[in-house]
Amino acid sequence: MLNEHIGRLLRSATTGFVFGCQVPEPDVPRFGDFVRAPVQRGRGDVLGLVYDLVVQDDAFVRPLVAAPDLTDEYVLDQRLNRQVPIEVSVLAVGYRAEAGFVQGLPPQPPLTLDVIHLCAPEEVRAFTERLDFLRLIVDSAEAPADELLAVALSRAAEAWPAAEREAFRRRAGRELARLLPRDLPRLERLLRRLRP
Amino acid sequence: MTLELNQLSDQVQALSATAAERLASLERQRPAAEARLRAIGLADDELQGKVRAALRYRWAGAIPAAEPVDAAFPCPPHPARANVLAADGSQVYPDRHGVALYYLINVGSIAFRHGSGEAPRVASRPAVFYEDADLYEEEGRQKPVEKIDAERDRRELGELARLAAANADAPAVALLDNGLLLYFSLQAQDRAEIKRELAPYLAHLSALRDSGAAVAGIVDRPRAAGVARLLHLHTLPMEALKDHADLFQQDADFRHLTDGALFADRLQPGERSALFENGSPANLDHFQPAGHSVFFFYLNPGPAGRHALLRVEVPEWVAHDPARLDLVHAALVEQCRATGGFPYVLMRAHELAVVTVAERRELEQMVVAALVRRGLSLSVSHKAQGKAWTGAGRRRYP
Repeated sequence: MLNEHIGRLLRSATTGFVFGCQVPEPDVPRFGDFVRAPVQRGRGDVLGLVYDLVVQDDAFVRPLVAAPDLTDEYVLDQRLNRQVPIEVSVLAVGYRAEAGFVQGLPPQPPLTLDVIHLCAPEEVRAFTERLDFLRLIVDSAEAPADELLAVALSRAAEAWPAAEREAFRRRAGRELARLLPRDLPRLERLLRRLRP
Repeated sequence: MTLELNQLSDQVQALSATAAERLASLERQRPAAEARLRAIGLADDELQGKVRAALRYRWAGAIPAAEPVDAAFPCPPHPARANVLAADGSQVYPDRHGVALYYLINVGSIAFRHGSGEAPRVASRPAVFYEDADLYEEEGRQKPVEKIDAERDRRELGELARLAAANADAPAVALLDNGLLLYFSLQAQDRAEIKRELAPYLAHLSALRDSGAAVAGIVDRPRAAGVARLLHLHTLPMEALKDHADLFQQDADFRHLTDGALFADRLQPGERSALFENGSPANLDHFQPAGHSVFFFYLNPGPAGRHALLRVEVPEWVAHDPARLDLVHAALVEQCRATGGFPYVLMRAHELAVVTVAERRELEQMVVAALVRRGLSLSVSHKAQGKAWTGAGRRRYP
């Protein structure tokens, strides 16, 4: 799955992008996943976090919802054959330049129909060597910040070797405490979510 | 906005009043029409004699078949496995004001393998026609749109024949979103030309018959009045038929009565009417001699509480084969269950066939790019350019 693209870009901005995909695999894409899309004609990649998956409807689907005992053929036709994409929203949190990963917004957004890939564990590990990107999540107006912080950090922890996970969680906790010094109840909730 | 809607207000009011009166008039006619249908019951020798006499004058009414004309048949059980096939077509007509002369036909199709648990197999087959033989008649004038429509209809039926051959592993029913009589055969006057245009269409029907599939043409909101004409014929004395002018006069009791209005409330959800043979000259002149005479029935496809009525046209080899006829009946009711009144597969075939305005624009751009690559500098006509400028909407200043 890592080498296969999981969707194509529908629209984008410097702060994030939306890609479309057909029926999601059980494990891909998920809320909180690290994904990447090419920028600057392939010179780099923007890295982002999935923060919303929206299943679109249309006038044809609505009457089917009320139909009794819909057989598998109708359901599969709507899911697999009809081109009603599932829209996946991504918050940009960094990019890969020639010198390595940068934690911040990319110089350009990806372009229409660019392919989207899931980040490999080693990419997630390399990107989360630093945790400056957490500020972009905390400051995001669109994403559900606390939920995304908790899930994304759990995903990132899974990318680290078992022996290093606890150290990663402690580092993430310290970074959150630095970002939220005046909101102790919120910080406490987040730290509780970080526990394995 | 160019259309001055405020100037139409009174006319729209009058239009709605006329429509309401027409509906009320139909409601008043219906009890008497139903009573006459019941009175006919199983068509007797006298009525059959009148029908034979009327057909000599090219009377385009409904010919009673072996079932009582007022009968209603409940929906038979649907087989656990059946292949429901559908095809529909759309076209882009030649535009003499465009950058190049061509036309496009796109046929969408679906093979819905009921009971298989598989996703249906869908296809969309576009073709562009640009050769002189495609665009011009022998005498040099541009091909009329009716012949392009005939080409589209033939391709729809050809696609169904292809699907029937590929889906013969279960009882199959192939559906068209139209009557079965090729529209061209109803419009054209030149018999030789009709025969020429019709030959491939009839060959596809034969292929469908030989594949074992059933085929049906579906008409939603039918406006036909063949059965209403039969009711009128029933009242005429045999002697009156000698002066055949009476045949074609509107029955004063049943003015504007259509078969749809007659059967709409007679049939319960899932029920079909009796079978009738189509008495139109196009059917008797061209389809019947080829062994594909068109029969029809009306169907309330359900579900309960929804007012839907379909006219279902089937060739004689379906009408006379109870297994194929039951399959058509059951498959249509099952397909309409999901959508509330029109077969799901026909909706999908239409969706796969339709050429949107945006797609048409993209096709135009492809054509322009291909022409430019060949060093041709072409443009739309001044008239088309003017329409593009003015058609986008007028700006109005206070």
